[in-house]
Amino acid sequence: MLRTEALRSNRRRQNAPIPKIAFLAGWVALLAIIPVIYILIRALAGDTELWQRIIQTRLIKLLSNTMLLVLTVTAGTTLLGVSMAWLTERTDVPGRKIFRWLLALPLAIPPYIGAIVHLALLRPRGGLLSQWMEGINLPSIHLPNPTGFWGAAFVLIIFSFPYVFLLSGAAFRSENASYYESARMLGRTPWQTFWQVTIPAIRPGITAGALLVSLDILSEYGTVALLRFETFSSAIFVQLAGRYDRSAASILSGVLILLALIILYGEFRTQGRAQFTQIGSHWRPATLIHLGKQRKWGFLALFFTVLVSFIIPMGLLLFWSTQGILDNQTFTGMQIGSRGLASFIFNSVWSSGLAAFLAVLFSIPIAIYVVRHPGKVSRLFSRLSQVGYAIPGVVVALSLVMLVNRFLPFLYATPLVVVMAYVVRYIPQAVRSSESAMRQLSPNLEEASRLLKRNAIQTFIQVNLPLILPGLLTGSALVFLSSLKELPATLLLRPAGYETLAVRVWIWSEEGFYFQAAPAALLLVFISIIPLYFLLRREAIFKQ
Amino acid sequence: MKLEIEKLSKHFSGNQHPAVDNITFLMPAHEILSFVGPSGCGKTTTLRLIAGLERPDQGIIRLDRYIISDAHTFVPPEKRNIGMVFQDHALFPHLSVFNNIAFGLRGFSKAEKKDRVSELLKLVGVEPLAKRFPHVLSGGERQRVALARALAPEPVLLLMDEPFSSLDAHLRLEVREQIRNILKVSQSTVIFVTHDQEEALFMGDRLVVFNQGKIEQIGFPETIFHDSGTRFVAAFMGESDFVSGKSNPTGFQTELGLLEQQNDYSTGTDVEIAIRADDIDFQVNNQGNGKIINRFFRGAFNFYRVELDSGEIVHVYKLHTEIYHPGERVMTYFNAGHPLKIFAR
Repeated sequence: MLRTEALRSNRRRQNAPIPKIAFLAGWVALLAIIPVIYILIRALAGDTELWQRIIQTRLIKLLSNTMLLVLTVTAGTTLLGVSMAWLTERTDVPGRKIFRWLLALPLAIPPYIGAIVHLALLRPRGGLLSQWMEGINLPSIHLPNPTGFWGAAFVLIIFSFPYVFLLSGAAFRSENASYYESARMLGRTPWQTFWQVTIPAIRPGITAGALLVSLDILSEYGTVALLRFETFSSAIFVQLAGRYDRSAASILSGVLILLALIILYGEFRTQGRAQFTQIGSHWRPATLIHLGKQRKWGFLALFFTVLVSFIIPMGLLLFWSTQGILDNQTFTGMQIGSRGLASFIFNSVWSSGLAAFLAVLFSIPIAIYVVRHPGKVSRLFSRLSQVGYAIPGVVVALSLVMLVNRFLPFLYATPLVVVMAYVVRYIPQAVRSSESAMRQLSPNLEEASRLLKRNAIQTFIQVNLPLILPGLLTGSALVFLSSLKELPATLLLRPAGYETLAVRVWIWSEEGFYFQAAPAALLLVFISIIPLYFLLRREAIFKQ
Repeated sequence: MKLEIEKLSKHFSGNQHPAVDNITFLMPAHEILSFVGPSGCGKTTTLRLIAGLERPDQGIIRLDRYIISDAHTFVPPEKRNIGMVFQDHALFPHLSVFNNIAFGLRGFSKAEKKDRVSELLKLVGVEPLAKRFPHVLSGGERQRVALARALAPEPVLLLMDEPFSSLDAHLRLEVREQIRNILKVSQSTVIFVTHDQEEALFMGDRLVVFNQGKIEQIGFPETIFHDSGTRFVAAFMGESDFVSGKSNPTGFQTELGLLEQQNDYSTGTDVEIAIRADDIDFQVNNQGNGKIINRFFRGAFNFYRVELDSGEIVHVYKLHTEIYHPGERVMTYFNAGHPLKIFAR
């Protein structure tokens, strides 16, 4: 049985005509890579003198800043994420079930909101922490400088570790007890087993998580801008928004994209290998490690992480919100002209919703083509459509500004350009969910439908669609969540007067109006929790 | 003739040998034809070519005298009016048993659908399950629902791809008897694919034995078993052992003595004789021609593995009371009572 299955999936039709789905998939792949190609061409076509100037004055500094931040944050999230996952999945630490949820919740908080809270608390002069310490007459201790490299790294680690936590948690969960038991029977101590069996088994999951985090850090704008640590993203933003210098921005973007593409290539290569952590039919959960007297330390580690990454930011946002709503002047300040919070919510939700719908729609032909016609071409299309992972928001904005201006001028300065940016940037998430949904569907179901007198399109609508719908919803929830939190592309592309929650939170906080920004930030987090809850419920570690 | 296959070939790129290599056969209506052979022999590919799920490289497929596949024509699967029961049953998980069976009834009115579906539910004996969903059914129930679904649109030909392989051994015997009765009652024309010789012999009115993409032999079950056309068929279908011998005017001279049998080979030809465990016997004898290597107790009888002095291995049935031990020397001899199959070396 297994053998014939393997043979069938390797089959490539020799004399069959090219399937029609290939053309649709090809269009999607083409649309997905146009922004990258365009930026790379613009960068290469850049003035030689400008290139030289940038290389001499900016490039080294930006490269070293960016790489330093990416490496530090990736290492930090991996360490934090894997240890948290180990504690909740493999030890008898008290409250681990509830901690699994609490540790995933920071995903609903965009890092720049975290950075706002961080800054408000730790600012050397007028920071909440120093005020409070003066208030109770503590001898003034020297607080660490909240801005710069360490500030940015700290904030990004705190709010990115849940990605690694979830992926390595799933890997810990899927590892079969029999591996551990076999290793023990073959003479390994628990400690040796951990390093020789468990870690190698979960490594693909961890690597995939770490690489996705590093792509996220490459594209992060809000946090590094607020905490004044210059990276490629913030430098490009300044070129675009401050100096209107598109040539310099293109050159910087070209370098940034190359960097991101290298990481994405590494991520693609680990993907295939991440397969061997799947829950088979004879799976038994690994036995828990009894921490004994160390339990309280495990508990404290979990609690402290949740405190810093969720309770403090949420508490402060709630406090500010009540203050802001109770204070009449601040409350009226939340109106921009005739539009208030309701309109920001509406804009956030419809643009993210439309982006989610379009991204999933476009991902379907790719998923069908790559799963049902495996081969070099279909895999290439699938990968091209996932290039969006490697295009930071600022770069998407830059290329869309130029492309729309040139080819679709009637779209210029409409919110649709913002939606386009979300689709380009986040379609990879939709492609992956749709592909994995299609992969779970036996081709026999489609063949049975064909033999029961349905053509290919009828088969898709009556058989595939109802069965892959949960997977499509997962994809749309991912895209919706990411679009909701997106900041730099929205800031750069939005038409005047088009305000979303993310935009308003950012502008008010930059101006220091925290009380005014807090309700919008809180709403953004609460709306994000809805798709996040839907996504987390489907994760293996929240089942059983 | 119902189905005519002419010089059909299919080669998957990346494989060294063609999956289906120039095969030709005919099949009348209302027949159950078993395709049997080891895995990778081309039987399933042939089935999928007939279904229209794969495109042949060359060859002609005629169904009821209409060409459904040749160099210029390729009728898509939905227009062939062929039914198929899949190895994993492929019941639609989002549809109830009723809707699964009704899926193929396009253009039927609601009342007609209801009649036809209840007719089939009755035929396969799962009437109480109409409203259930596939995931709550047992293996045998799924099997019967899959059959009902395939039969519902009254296909001119029904294809079954190892339909019993996902069932437990004890269930398999029961289900296949029921299914064979249903197929005979509904007078279906059926091609049945299996890698299990015994199942092929049980299900098929006739058998087609496949090996390496080619047809080794087509014939009635008894013919295939007793009168194997090739050494492969004798080995695969009958679990035969082979003992070498030399032809002479009265028969064949072998290590087991002289086999007296009519002989078309010229004297001195090297041959192999296909021997089943019930064709020979042995007695303990220190001067014998071999020794016992193993005894396998099978309940009703003992099954002995004997190594002849030349190194060739044969198997012998004995009563369950006759117990000998490994290492004992034995004299092995012919005890068939019917002619044995001879193959030139």
